[in-house]
Amino acid sequence: MTRLADLARVVRSKNAGPTLLTIDVLFAETAHLDRALAVLSSSRISSLYGIEADKIRVIPYRSATAIKIVMPRKVIAGDPGDRDVYGAQQHAPLLGIEV
Amino acid sequence: MKPELRVLAASGQLGYGIPEAAFAAGIARAPHVIGADMGSIDPGPAYLGSGRMATSPEMTRRDLGLVLSAARGLGVPLLIGSAGTAGARPHLDATLEIVREIAREKGLRFRLASIAADIPKALARDARPLGAMRSMDLERTTHLVGQMGTEAFIRALDAGADVVIAGRACDTAIFAAIPLMRGYAPGLAMHMAKIIECTSLCCEPGGRDAILATLSEDSFELESMNPARAATPLSVAAHALYEQEDPYTVQEPEGTLDLRGAQYKATDARRTRVRGALWQPRARPTVKIEGAGPFGERSVLFCSSADPRVIANLSSILLDVEATTRQLVPGSDFSLYPRVYGEGEAFLLVECIAPTAARGLAVLGVFRQYLLHHGFPGRLSTGGNLAFPFTPPELPAGTAYRFTVYHVMDVEALAPLFPVSIEDIA
Repeated sequence: MTRLADLARVVRSKNAGPTLLTIDVLFAETAHLDRALAVLSSSRISSLYGIEADKIRVIPYRSATAIKIVMPRKVIAGDPGDRDVYGAQQHAPLLGIEV
Repeated sequence: MKPELRVLAASGQLGYGIPEAAFAAGIARAPHVIGADMGSIDPGPAYLGSGRMATSPEMTRRDLGLVLSAARGLGVPLLIGSAGTAGARPHLDATLEIVREIAREKGLRFRLASIAADIPKALARDARPLGAMRSMDLERTTHLVGQMGTEAFIRALDAGADVVIAGRACDTAIFAAIPLMRGYAPGLAMHMAKIIECTSLCCEPGGRDAILATLSEDSFELESMNPARAATPLSVAAHALYEQEDPYTVQEPEGTLDLRGAQYKATDARRTRVRGALWQPRARPTVKIEGAGPFGERSVLFCSSADPRVIANLSSILLDVEATTRQLVPGSDFSLYPRVYGEGEAFLLVECIAPTAARGLAVLGVFRQYLLHHGFPGRLSTGGNLAFPFTPPELPAGTAYRFTVYHVMDVEALAPLFPVSIEDIA
């Protein structure tokens, strides 16, 4: 069984401004990217993150053998109750996805 | 053919310590301009709201001294954007004061331009929210800034500035201003700027060392000034993803950078040549605006529990204890945000936002004591549910701020929003 954490070279998350979260998944080869792309649908990500699927964008970026995922942050960065001001630890739910 | 133009990006976060060896190697390459980014919206609303810097005075002085001495030694322009973390008036003033002190100490002489980025609230009312931003709250906004573009830097340089200290600015504007003034293709200049604003983060392995971009008529080449870091076609292309919502287009005040045609080719193992980005100017400029302000006093409680039964029941225990606290502390002017971390021994961080620190500490004191002794079905730990790393375990954490504005506005002209002030340091 292969998980995304085994297949990807980089899985990172960060804010793109205080209202958006962006997750980049980078691969060593195109075949890996395609395998992950088949699984990383917006509905799959929606169930992992609790964000409506139509607000999630999955963008293949082949020049860097990468996939970008963009979704709204549930809490505006720095608001009370926020757990991650920079959004740099929001990639974890993806690591265990079977690819 | 245009002569080559060397742009040295000294820092993506001036004030956290510029690695000296790579910076010196960059200076040895005789760059035509030195740029450094000093701020961002990433660290959250506290710095913009309070007017404070995220970096310490000691490290900020060190880094500013390093880049000022080097730029004056070479006699080339030094451009710094988003002064003092958030780039509002107090951040700009504090940065300028340090620059003047360093100049006095080192006997440096230069023309200093400062560019303010504070936006009058009256101009912001019609701006559109970005993403899922809430409605703007100008009344509770202590500082409101706009991200300036290359136009403001070019105006400062046209006024003869040797050193430009700008308030809130697009990262790209710092590094693209001089290439644009000298007539290089705007698509290339902006793409280069977009990559080098984080210095060697676009390399393999990524890091904070200075990076040199060499711009020519139809392309630019990237080289980290730390020999251990390589700018490879893949690492550079991947950087287009970083902190961006779209890897193919970047919105700037004066237009849109189109990266769909970008090509990355290795010159050798450590250098990559880039070409193909296009620039689409915008008919009417847009400015991203950011505001923040206080909304209460924060206090925090630190504690933990090693008892498996406490941990298993934590979510209901925390709700019960909040209900008890609300019965005992009258009024509803406070909010509680318990967070639970880890397994085995669970760490609890309980945040309270209240009108005063004293009130927040009163709330958390009650919450802590009732959490310590809370009874729940199956409880064994009747001596207490919690471990405290120190006492008192609740601490004041200062004023809490939040973003009140994160919007974009259309403007007729950029220049009136970002006034340049000139002073000759002798």
